[in-house]
Amino acid sequence: MRRVGLGVLVRWETVLVLLILAVGVWCRSLSPLFLTRVNLLDLATPYIFIGLMALGLTFVIIAGEIDISVASILAVSVVVLGQIYEAGANIWFAALVGLLVATGLGLVNGFLVAVVGLPSLAVTLGTLAAYRGLAFLIHSGEGVASFPTQFTNIGIGYVWGQQVPVALLVFLGAAVALGFLLHATRFGRYIYALGANREAARYSGIPVTRARIAVFGLSGLLAGIAGLVYVGFFGSSRADAADGSLLDVVTAVVLGGVDIFGGSGSMVGVVLSVLLVAELRNGMQLDNIGGDTQNIVIGVLLLAAILAGNAIRALQTSGLRTRIARASKKEVVRTAGQAEGTT
Amino acid sequence: MRHHKLKVLLGLVAVAVLVGALSAGVGSAKSDRTAGPAAKQATYKIFLIPKFIGIPVFTLNGKGGKEAGKKLGDTVTYNGPTEASAAKQVPFIDTAVRQGYNAIVISANDPNAVAPALKRAQDRGLKVVSYDADAAKDARTVYVSPPDTQSIGAGLVEWVGSQVGYKGQIAILSATTTAANQNAWIAVIKKTLKKPKYKGLKLAKIAYGNDNDTKSAQETQALLQAYPNLKGIIAPTSVGLPAAARVLQQAKKCGSIALTGLATPNSMRAYTKKGCGKKFGLWNEVDFGYLAVYVAHAVLDGKLTGKAGESLVAGRLGRRTIGKNSTMPMGPPLVFTPKNIDKYHF
Amino acid sequence: MKLSPQTLAQAAFRLREAGIFIALTVAVLLFWARANNFMTIANWQDIATDVAIVAVLAVGQTMVVLTRNIDLSVGSIVGLTAYISSDTLAHHHGLPLGVVVLLAVTIGIGLGLVNGLLVTVGRIPAIIATIGTLAIFRGLLFEITNGQNVLAFQLPERFLNLAARKPVGLPFLAWIAIAIAIAGAAVLRWAPWGRDFYAVGSNPDAARYAGIPVGRRVLTAFVLSGALAGLGGFMFAARFASVDAVAGTNLEFDAVTAVVIGGVNVFGGSGTVLGAALGAVLVATIQDGFTLLKLSEFWKMFFNGTAIVVAVTIDALVTQRLQEALRRRRRAEMVAAREQGAAT
Repeated sequence: MRRVGLGVLVRWETVLVLLILAVGVWCRSLSPLFLTRVNLLDLATPYIFIGLMALGLTFVIIAGEIDISVASILAVSVVVLGQIYEAGANIWFAALVGLLVATGLGLVNGFLVAVVGLPSLAVTLGTLAAYRGLAFLIHSGEGVASFPTQFTNIGIGYVWGQQVPVALLVFLGAAVALGFLLHATRFGRYIYALGANREAARYSGIPVTRARIAVFGLSGLLAGIAGLVYVGFFGSSRADAADGSLLDVVTAVVLGGVDIFGGSGSMVGVVLSVLLVAELRNGMQLDNIGGDTQNIVIGVLLLAAILAGNAIRALQTSGLRTRIARASKKEVVRTAGQAEGTT
Repeated sequence: MRHHKLKVLLGLVAVAVLVGALSAGVGSAKSDRTAGPAAKQATYKIFLIPKFIGIPVFTLNGKGGKEAGKKLGDTVTYNGPTEASAAKQVPFIDTAVRQGYNAIVISANDPNAVAPALKRAQDRGLKVVSYDADAAKDARTVYVSPPDTQSIGAGLVEWVGSQVGYKGQIAILSATTTAANQNAWIAVIKKTLKKPKYKGLKLAKIAYGNDNDTKSAQETQALLQAYPNLKGIIAPTSVGLPAAARVLQQAKKCGSIALTGLATPNSMRAYTKKGCGKKFGLWNEVDFGYLAVYVAHAVLDGKLTGKAGESLVAGRLGRRTIGKNSTMPMGPPLVFTPKNIDKYHF
Repeated sequence: MKLSPQTLAQAAFRLREAGIFIALTVAVLLFWARANNFMTIANWQDIATDVAIVAVLAVGQTMVVLTRNIDLSVGSIVGLTAYISSDTLAHHHGLPLGVVVLLAVTIGIGLGLVNGLLVTVGRIPAIIATIGTLAIFRGLLFEITNGQNVLAFQLPERFLNLAARKPVGLPFLAWIAIAIAIAGAAVLRWAPWGRDFYAVGSNPDAARYAGIPVGRRVLTAFVLSGALAGLGGFMFAARFASVDAVAGTNLEFDAVTAVVIGGVNVFGGSGTVLGAALGAVLVATIQDGFTLLKLSEFWKMFFNGTAIVVAVTIDALVTQRLQEALRRRRRAEMVAAREQGAAT
């Protein structure tokens, strides 16, 4: 009963929207500054790199795997980008190499999982440490800091009357593109099928190995794009980049309604949950609530939201179960009757 | 149909319970954090962001900062992330700007990664002062630096030398082999020992206690066994020094072996008064935060612009002057002795 | 002689443990040749102290992972219990240490119960439930400490001397770890409910049909992990003496690493406490050797990660071989049976 129909997903997203509104009301009561245009438009900007990693991780988790190495992949790509730029190369060339390296590291994960047949949790636990070590081995000092403005604009620039942050548009653009890939293409259907039942997917002719490798490659690519936004926004390319952000990334995906065991989840849910967490942190920060209390609130929100979701599902499946029980009783009666008929 | 209504209702109840729980749970935390200063008519609002919150060093910086705020009539808020991450400091900088703070005082996790946010703050008219760990130069007006490596390393040698008549075998009890600040101090100690004044002192061994009480105690015992003629120990670590003092006290060697190093007076009080570790030092973390907030206030007043030679009177700390690179040093470390230790409580 | 699948599987585990043992031997020989001071009693005592806390956590983690779950909150539980036990001792110098251990373990049990209930009754996947409690428990610790810490000078001397004691040449904390590892191994081997962990992990549905109370077993595993993390907290306080709000951060990674390198299947159902403990020893030995060779922290990180991947790759290869062997045997048996049938 892990696979959940579209109906519930719509409702889960409804819950997220309601939560965003409710948290908004609460944040407004915390600080009058919350409901200002500047604040609302900029509230998610510092968390965009986390959101982008979450979008990539969404594919991995729906496919029934996990990738906890994303933050380390981001670090490697950021350091590579910085070093190549410092060596005198064009910034866009450096960015391209950064993206390629990130995708490559993701593909290594994918190869180990899909071809060698290792559990993804163990593999990415290993590469989480190995890639972070690699980032430091490539460059362990202060990173490059003076990047050209036309590049940093990806993370820090504004458009439309200097109001709308470019990073937010990058995030929403990526979400739309990936949402299309996930919900409207054959590849997307493969991903859901993989997560629901890998053996069944194999028998139905899905190129399972290739699809699983691709999913990890995609996660790496998104970590690379997150790296570009990171460098743009923070203007630094140190090997400790995005250290300690893994929990935030996983929280965003799971709170977005993606089933950790795979097979269900939606892009809209993840986008909403990224915004929800950003909103919560922003509101609490505006009221100077301590970083430690913020973590407790988000931890409680994560668990409470999932408990509530489970309660809703339990209600639904209890309805479903009686229906199935009724149906199967009929089935039994019918087959019994048929059996009698044939003898 | 009945099911649908029920589900929607359940969702709403869940949300209501959640929001209720959150506001109840957080309400209390909030009130004790922002009460006090906000009630008074403040001249400036200053936001103090440590590398991360939760450990005593930064808590003391916050305490000193608030003390200075009270003296100056400013509102000082102390808050930050729970991990040493620049990415997690930036949201605090951005919200401080939107909240209308006048100045930010920060210990940067990554000098470059916080720079764009600090420059955004400067563009909106805020003043920025870095302390403890500097931010990129163009992103702050003044940097309040901890006592420099040279004066600490030289101080350590003098403190132990003056106790033993500048003669005999000494050892160093350090933290870990890879700790950058420890290695920098050890390098200065070695250099200082080459000076004529300290010719009589011989460095026998450098032991590593890994900033861990048990290991530091064991290493001290090993030193006593291996070097029976040992005259002095330098332990420039806040964990190692009290551990060494305890071992010396247990072995009844406080009279024959001089002990010095860096640690808080609270952690050494009992030993120092009984003659174990009669001279040691540390800079005052409370004063550090205090000075940083005073500097921020002076920058807001336009009295400090970061030029070398500018100075201010920082309350109970007296006059302080800006040196090279818009840097104002904390000054030499405090020296604690059995006579003065009861004046200090941190 | 007929080999049942069980005996074959057991043989494979012995093979697995032998594998870690060989890796350990190779590492020891290499470091002995290259690093001064590696093969000294003092250094091995250091390694034993280093490994003790992680090994205790790894025993609890093994139980949880066997049931096809994971407990990522142990680092936060260690921090909380370490602070509470040292803070209690700082205020009540006369308190018997047994009482303090009991306090730490009881708190650990309570927190483990929270995890277990979230997973079993709340039906939240373990990885998410314990990511949540990782943040919540750590946040609580921050609230309790209020930015302060407990320092060695505030603690009674008998507590400070605890970690330095070395009965029969082995540090006291290492003895605790050995006792816990033996007890854990005994539970998994002989206690009926301990053996159930394997059944629950290899196939929860089948276990349920076989009449095993799956929920209660999973709850037990989490409670045990919490209790051991509580004990680990006490050991942490005894070892470091100064405890603050960040104590024990990232220990969950060390515990999971030990478990994975020790050959416990992350999908549950197979693995041993001995393997996990050896995994912890291997990691600590290599870390120590790297430190003595003055290799940077970054190489350690890189090597640690690579070691995990290599270990699971070997696991996968062994499992594949094993399955092939089983298949061949079955085929041979079938052929033999058919021939017998044809003969009669």
